[in-house]
Amino acid sequence: MKMKLTLLTAAAFTAVSAVFPAFAADDKIVVGFATAQSGFMQAYDQPAADAAMIRIDEINKAGGLLGKKIEVVKADTKSDRAEGAKAGLSVLDQGADLVVVSCDYDFGSPAALAAEAAGKISFFLCAESVKAGIQGVGPHSFSASVLAPVQGATMAEWAFKKKNAKTFYRLLDTWTEYNKGICDGFDWMMPKLEAQGAKLVGKDTFKNDDASIAAQITRIKALPKEPDAIMLCTMMPGAVSAIKQIRAAGINSMILNGSGVDGSYWLSAVPDLSNFFVPVQGSIYGDDPNPDVQKFNAAYKAKTGQDPSSQYVYPGYVMIDVWAKAVERAKSTDADKVVAELEKMKGEPTLFGPRTFTSELHHQNTAKYLIAETTKGKPHIVDSWTISEPIPLDALMK
Amino acid sequence: MSISTPATDPILSAEAIAARKPGPFSLAGKSIVTPILLVLILLAIAIVTMMIGSKPFNQVIIDLFVRVILVVGLYVFIGNSGVMSFGQIGFTCLGAYVAAWLTINPVMKKMSLPGLPDFILKTKMEYWQAAIFATIFAAIAALIFGRILMRLSGIAASIATFAMLAMINTIYSNWDRVTGATSSVVGIPIVRSIWPYFTAAAIVIFIAWLHAISRAGLALRAARDEPTAAAASGIDIPKQRLIAFVISGAIMGAGGALTAHSIGVVTPDNFYLSLTFVTLSMLVVGGMGSLTGSVLGVVILSALIQGLRFLEAGVPVGGSMLALPKGLQEIALGIIMIVILVLRPSGLFGNRELTLNRNRSE
Repeated sequence: MKMKLTLLTAAAFTAVSAVFPAFAADDKIVVGFATAQSGFMQAYDQPAADAAMIRIDEINKAGGLLGKKIEVVKADTKSDRAEGAKAGLSVLDQGADLVVVSCDYDFGSPAALAAEAAGKISFFLCAESVKAGIQGVGPHSFSASVLAPVQGATMAEWAFKKKNAKTFYRLLDTWTEYNKGICDGFDWMMPKLEAQGAKLVGKDTFKNDDASIAAQITRIKALPKEPDAIMLCTMMPGAVSAIKQIRAAGINSMILNGSGVDGSYWLSAVPDLSNFFVPVQGSIYGDDPNPDVQKFNAAYKAKTGQDPSSQYVYPGYVMIDVWAKAVERAKSTDADKVVAELEKMKGEPTLFGPRTFTSELHHQNTAKYLIAETTKGKPHIVDSWTISEPIPLDALMK
Repeated sequence: MSISTPATDPILSAEAIAARKPGPFSLAGKSIVTPILLVLILLAIAIVTMMIGSKPFNQVIIDLFVRVILVVGLYVFIGNSGVMSFGQIGFTCLGAYVAAWLTINPVMKKMSLPGLPDFILKTKMEYWQAAIFATIFAAIAALIFGRILMRLSGIAASIATFAMLAMINTIYSNWDRVTGATSSVVGIPIVRSIWPYFTAAAIVIFIAWLHAISRAGLALRAARDEPTAAAASGIDIPKQRLIAFVISGAIMGAGGALTAHSIGVVTPDNFYLSLTFVTLSMLVVGGMGSLTGSVLGVVILSALIQGLRFLEAGVPVGGSMLALPKGLQEIALGIIMIVILVLRPSGLFGNRELTLNRNRSE
């Protein structure tokens, strides 16, 4: 009998010691930031990462996640792809349960792929390509922002329905995937609007670093009538020059854009810009209809000493928010369980609009956007819009 | 060539020539120590990495081995011919994309790269098979480009190689149905074991050594040091350069394939100016004319970069963290490189190789 007891104790002891390491690492939840802390991507990653930290601090103050504190580990990608892979592995080595990667698909994917290979969840801070997720990384990868095509589609439909724009002109800067994405969304929406009486009167392309887009402007001027709206699919730094040249040529059509040109930092370069529209997830201009967004802006200022510079701050906050909710619901940080909970989110309310994830798309193919209009060089929120139907996957994969 | 009157010219007598002629493998026997030592150094690094067992450090060393391959590839052409080529990274780009084309899952490939020929669309190879094809593809490209470029010399050749790099980059950045243009090509299987990279680096070091002591390598170095005398002795300089250019291109292609497998993503701008300058500076700092220089240049500069990066991340001193400002690593590295080049203009190793005996036997 005694012998048996000893054996049992020994067995129990072995069992306990075998599982003990797992428990030892289990008194905290680790979020790893494999993002750019130096180099050009830092300008995009840092604000969103700061916003993520605000949400993490809130959760920790409220008692943590599953009763555990969230601990943050960081590794710098130096805005370099090869370093990105190392940064991803480095935070994984430090026990990251969630790997946060760079804003851009190209720069974030090496770290995300490392996380995927380790069976961990990765979240792109604000990538807007459909590849930033299942399609380009794997089933454990997500993006916290909204797909670029949604921005193009939102602007087209809103301009048609609310501003009564009938004739559209599409001007695409072929420099990045992001730009092409905006115009892809516009192209998907346009036939639906044409069935209701809108008309696409022309398309043209340019390159971000073109010093002059005089040829493109001449073609717009050659139209029998100035188009009601120009869908401008471009981003910084070339956007400023393109907008300036369009206005200098005396073209006063509405200019529709993607979120990439949000922010007032560049507006002094185009004095008195008017009739200019940008879709945003939240307002940095102090006039967001949601008072909680205003509160967030104040918290951001308190933490970083400055106001958000563009709407790309916000996805970082949303990211931690939805992930933490999924962890609470799964009662575990196990990647597969958390992914399953994330995929159950259908219109999950967040500070910056509802979020949906499915087993096919870990990204937003529809979203509620605020519309920011710039009048005489002053941006302000004028409306909000959600596209009438989500963009289907095959249109996104084009 | 006929030898004129052996009786009147004792230096050229048959016996005298025979006496001075080295044994069949004497050069190989004398110099094989160098590649062996270099491979042993890399092996030691690999074993230490295994023992440390940290994943990020493992990746650092994988990177180091890939760089060794690329810089040795540069050495084969630049070191032996003395012609500065800015274009070799172009072959790395070609190799990386071949690896991507051949190893990505056919379903994904059909979606992202629909313009590929049907037989490539259907293939799914192991990474090492793809690496062999990448090597061959890059070598063929080097042969075609080299036929034209190797007629040039001096600055004209350098600029022409640079033009070749720009051309490859432009084609790969715009041919979207085949290369995906500027967007990342994903789905390349990632190889995180250190040994394939070590093996490839070791093979490449031996190939570089074999080429350097071969007839072609010796003739090319003679042409580098004394072009007129070499040409007068019957060395076909463009041909010898072409041989080195093709071998170098092949090595760069293999390096490209391994780069692709080490991070799992390729884009054309991965293989452009910044990689060109990083690898060239490793070669120049190590010593352009020496295989040892090219291998140890990578090891030393990589160690410096990692050391500085470690300091940037911060070291706990007492109760506080001592950290260098972010971005200082690049500046410090630049300063260190300048100091090395001021003190040793022909690089750390110049023309010398690593051997066991301190005095070089000439």
